[in-house]
Amino acid sequence: MSTSSVTRETARDRSAAPLKRRRTPKSVRLALLYAGLWAAFIWCVFPFYWMIATSLRAKEEIFARPPSIVPHSITLQNYVDLLVGAQFWRFALNSLFLTISVTVISVLLSVTAGYAMARHRFKGSVMLPLFMLYGQMFPPVLLLIPFYIQLKFLGWLDSLYGLIPVYLSYMLPLCVWLMRGFFAQVPHSLEDAARLDGCTRWQAFWRVILPMARPGIVAVATWVMIHTWNEFLYASTFILSEKNRTLPLGLSGLIGQYTTDWGMLMAGGVVTAAPILLIFFFLQKHLVAGVGGGAVKG
Amino acid sequence: MRLKPHWSSIFENGTGARLYPYLMVMPAILIAIGVVVYPVVSGITSAFYDVTLRTLNSGDMPFVGMRNFERVFADPNFVRASLNTVIWVVLNVVAQLGLGLALALLLHRIVPGIGFFRSGILVPWVVPSVVAVLTWRWMYDPSVGIVNEMLVRLGVINDYHPWLGDTATALYAVTVESIWKGTPFVMLLLLAALQLVPKSILEAASMDGASGWRMLWHVILPQIRVSFAIAAVLTFILTVNNFNAIWLMTEGGPLSSSEILFTLAYKYGFQRFDLGRASAVATMLFVGLVIATTIYLKLIQAKEAD
Repeated sequence: MSTSSVTRETARDRSAAPLKRRRTPKSVRLALLYAGLWAAFIWCVFPFYWMIATSLRAKEEIFARPPSIVPHSITLQNYVDLLVGAQFWRFALNSLFLTISVTVISVLLSVTAGYAMARHRFKGSVMLPLFMLYGQMFPPVLLLIPFYIQLKFLGWLDSLYGLIPVYLSYMLPLCVWLMRGFFAQVPHSLEDAARLDGCTRWQAFWRVILPMARPGIVAVATWVMIHTWNEFLYASTFILSEKNRTLPLGLSGLIGQYTTDWGMLMAGGVVTAAPILLIFFFLQKHLVAGVGGGAVKG
Repeated sequence: MRLKPHWSSIFENGTGARLYPYLMVMPAILIAIGVVVYPVVSGITSAFYDVTLRTLNSGDMPFVGMRNFERVFADPNFVRASLNTVIWVVLNVVAQLGLGLALALLLHRIVPGIGFFRSGILVPWVVPSVVAVLTWRWMYDPSVGIVNEMLVRLGVINDYHPWLGDTATALYAVTVESIWKGTPFVMLLLLAALQLVPKSILEAASMDGASGWRMLWHVILPQIRVSFAIAAVLTFILTVNNFNAIWLMTEGGPLSSSEILFTLAYKYGFQRFDLGRASAVATMLFVGLVIATTIYLKLIQAKEAD
């Protein structure tokens, strides 16, 4: 109390005249704010712009020196080259298959587990969520080696099915943790009301709580989709043959030993990033509240 | 009044009711044991065995005690990679937190067009990491890269420079990409924290004549300190585990100048197939990350208690 009143007094003393001079005028501050915003915006968006600009240039222009910021002419040739080959579609289908399988499995498993951890008291209901969070933090390089040995024993190296359990190790723990957070926010009273109306515990969960928690479930599902779609380390270690490659792996394969077709590579980058960007900007509100909040609040 | 009986009514009382929560967590726990706990334990164990392609195929892996660790410590590349890891982590964490806080403060104000800026600044976070890394590799191109062209035009350098091909600059060039990619997420965490700071505190402080740096240091930072610490630990964990950036730009080269412990372990494991030695490095990283994670959890609990 006393300190705050002291600061207030000194502030009042100063505010008599000199404070007005010290403060920069509002319009200048606003201009500075916008200058900062534009600088940050350009820094963040430029590489993305450069990828798109490169993908739309003709081959001769890509390797012209000095490079020009704005393309002189626009061509879709790189996209045609990329999409006409069967390889690209194959990679896209592989990625799609993995993404859907991993998302469905992890959401189904984490919904019930997250709910039980949020609502029921049982042996381990306090420790298990923490264990789940630890699971997420394990360095992938430690898991790579045992996974490699296991997959080799099972004969699942170089197989998309073999990647599903590997991806679950990387997705499931955090999914459970996030789901628990969402269910903890659904008010108890709703469940109690459903139970009074004669629902069993399972029905109350399935018919009342699950629909209520839909935004959280969508956020978690999107989070899994994005991470599975983007995953590179495990895929590049366990997938050996070209036909089983996922999109990120296919892209990195376009880097040549001596020369690289950067136009086509950047076109591939645009096509790989497009679904993620669309999903993201479509669901931005859910995701930012869900995942950002989940990481902080738990 | 009771609705028609449902199969799930067996969970209402007695043994069914007691088993119910266990049945609900069981599938996730079983899978987590299979794909997380078991591999971690077996990964740590193999740090003490001689695991190579040859011993793996014959099925006879001899116990070697601390030999793998001794061989790791004797490798000059390990010393190099440890130093690089320290540089890599410190630069990334400091820059991402500093820039992330600056961005969060910029984007915190509600001014016309703020939605546009917020979306744009999240782009690096959303772009798939492989795509982002390959784009930066192209921008760093030694003969026609846009980074070179811009720096020449700004007068920073006289001639095009092979940023990723020079032992003096490779690690720092990759760090710039990693900062670019990681900052928006830090910004999100800090922005969320800033929005929870009660308006009345900020207003009171600005009426008291606090402005600029003083306001930031004495009013805002103490309010968001827990979120700030959480962001620091998360950035640390994500940076130690960032493989894609280094691997797809330099593969740790040239001459190990951008080697970090992660890429070193990966090379031991999957280029030389000396899986025992790779596990030894991975186990050391694991211990570091467990300590960081423990701090992270303590911080989260402190936050929940607030």
